[in-house]
Amino acid sequence: MVGNPMARTTGPLTVAIVDDHPVVIEGIQTWLSEEPRISVGHTGEDADVEPGVADVLVLDLNLHGRLVIGDIATLAAAGQRVIAFSQFTEQRVVLEALEAGACEFVAKNEGRAHLVNAVLAAAGDRPYVTPTAAGVLVGDRGASRPKLSSQERTALLWWFQSMSKASVARRMGVSVHTVDVYIRRARVKYAQVGRTAPTKADMLARAIEDGLVKPDDITGYESAAVGVG
Amino acid sequence: MANGMIATRFAMAVNIGLVVIVGVWHLGLDTLLMLRGWQEYEPRAAAAGSWLALAVIQTVGSILLLRSALGGPIARWLAGASLVTGVVATATYPAGGMISEVSWAWNTVGWFGVLLLMQRPLWELVVLLAANTAVTVGFLVADGALDQVMLSRLLAVTHTTAGVQLTFAYLARQLNDGAREATETAAGQAERLARATADETVHAERRRRYEYLRSRVEPLLRGLAERQLDPGDTVVRHRAAVEAARLRRLFVETDDTPHPLLHELRACADVAERRGVRVTLLSYGDLPDLPTSARGELAEGALLVLAAAATQARVTVVTTPEDVVVSVVADAPPETLVESPGQLTVSAVYDQEEDQLWWETRWPVRPAP
Repeated sequence: MVGNPMARTTGPLTVAIVDDHPVVIEGIQTWLSEEPRISVGHTGEDADVEPGVADVLVLDLNLHGRLVIGDIATLAAAGQRVIAFSQFTEQRVVLEALEAGACEFVAKNEGRAHLVNAVLAAAGDRPYVTPTAAGVLVGDRGASRPKLSSQERTALLWWFQSMSKASVARRMGVSVHTVDVYIRRARVKYAQVGRTAPTKADMLARAIEDGLVKPDDITGYESAAVGVG
Repeated sequence: MANGMIATRFAMAVNIGLVVIVGVWHLGLDTLLMLRGWQEYEPRAAAAGSWLALAVIQTVGSILLLRSALGGPIARWLAGASLVTGVVATATYPAGGMISEVSWAWNTVGWFGVLLLMQRPLWELVVLLAANTAVTVGFLVADGALDQVMLSRLLAVTHTTAGVQLTFAYLARQLNDGAREATETAAGQAERLARATADETVHAERRRRYEYLRSRVEPLLRGLAERQLDPGDTVVRHRAAVEAARLRRLFVETDDTPHPLLHELRACADVAERRGVRVTLLSYGDLPDLPTSARGELAEGALLVLAAAATQARVTVVTTPEDVVVSVVADAPPETLVESPGQLTVSAVYDQEEDQLWWETRWPVRPAP
């Protein structure tokens, strides 16, 4: 496991930012500076960074006109936690980034709170699903998609529609916490499909530790159909 | 495929013509010839038997041809059988009667060859016609009847039988090829037309986006650059926010020929944006083809909520494995709650705490069990 183990709880954590527009780097720095636990270390314009450069790498998906999904796979394979941060929100791009081993996908227009939450969650190997990512996952009709329970699908869909977990909770008649569990559990199921990566394994291990999923559930996507609740 | 339809129907017409010709030839002409010269055949049982055998071959071959089930091996086998039967028939002619009023098999076997080998390479028919002619020549030589007069008769009859048959087969083939070519040309033209229409649609879509930028964003940017608009002014800021939302929406529209449902929703979003509403429109999952009525229903509610939105609206379209879900969340008044316009499942709630209307309708991708 790469990075500061302390970051898995609530201690300080380091973030690296890679984007080909300096104004975006500065913007992200400003956003993150409001969160005392986060300190920004490396910043740069190239995906060519050493794995372990920081606890979490915020990576622009499109650097100098090139999609860097391949770099995500390389970094994730070396255990680097990556948050894909992009203005490209096409379904294929988001799914490929997650499949390559990115911890989260955050759309550039989703704002500060989502990025900060994603960074904090990723540092603890915990899933965080932005409304955009929720829309992508619930609209996934790919052959290798994991089987989600109907509550998980509903939570993802309504989170995407309303962008308010409180609204979703009221509509589903459950607590906000339960809505969050459904959403995170759906995301964890995606860590079980496709190629393996240390970042995915860490997320699964953490989900078991947190009691989000049971070890029995982690048996590959064929039989990962068990929905609870 | 509609592509080969005309060519197929044309080939079918040629085949039917051929079946009729051969049928009239054998069942009509041959029967008449045999009945008239019945006394001269020897043995008569062999003559009648070969007529019957050819009638059977003809029936089988015609049925297979019309059902497009006449494969290569069976066609060749039937052609061989008719050639052999022709030999038997010729053997029953009276001495020196190979080309006479009682001879019938030569011409008939030739037409059988055309019927059976129509779909085969031309050389197979040439071989059969040559062998068929050789049968008559062989009997003439064996009878010692091939004198000068007989030779000229032989040449003349070869011309009117094998020659005509080969010409017929050749022309039918040319016509078939011509029909196929014509069909292909027509299909090519239709495809070019379709492509041109698609290109025009793409072009129109791009123009539409460009027009937006020109008519709405450019004056705003120019105003800001020339300091005619104050970035601190609430009205200007609101206008900028709306245009930013519009730009984001246009950037997401990477499809040049949008799905009709998205096209409709975008049109609704445009109208709302002109009123100053910030609209986000997102779609995930490949939209299937929707019946017009379903599309109308899905768009109808979105239109009503968008029309009532005060300052912002979020329109989402999600195609899940189960259904197509269209939703609008907007700061519209609760009385906008729409009645279901049709059969689809509509759910609308007014979220008092968020002070917004949340409308959703679903169209099942698979029919409900």
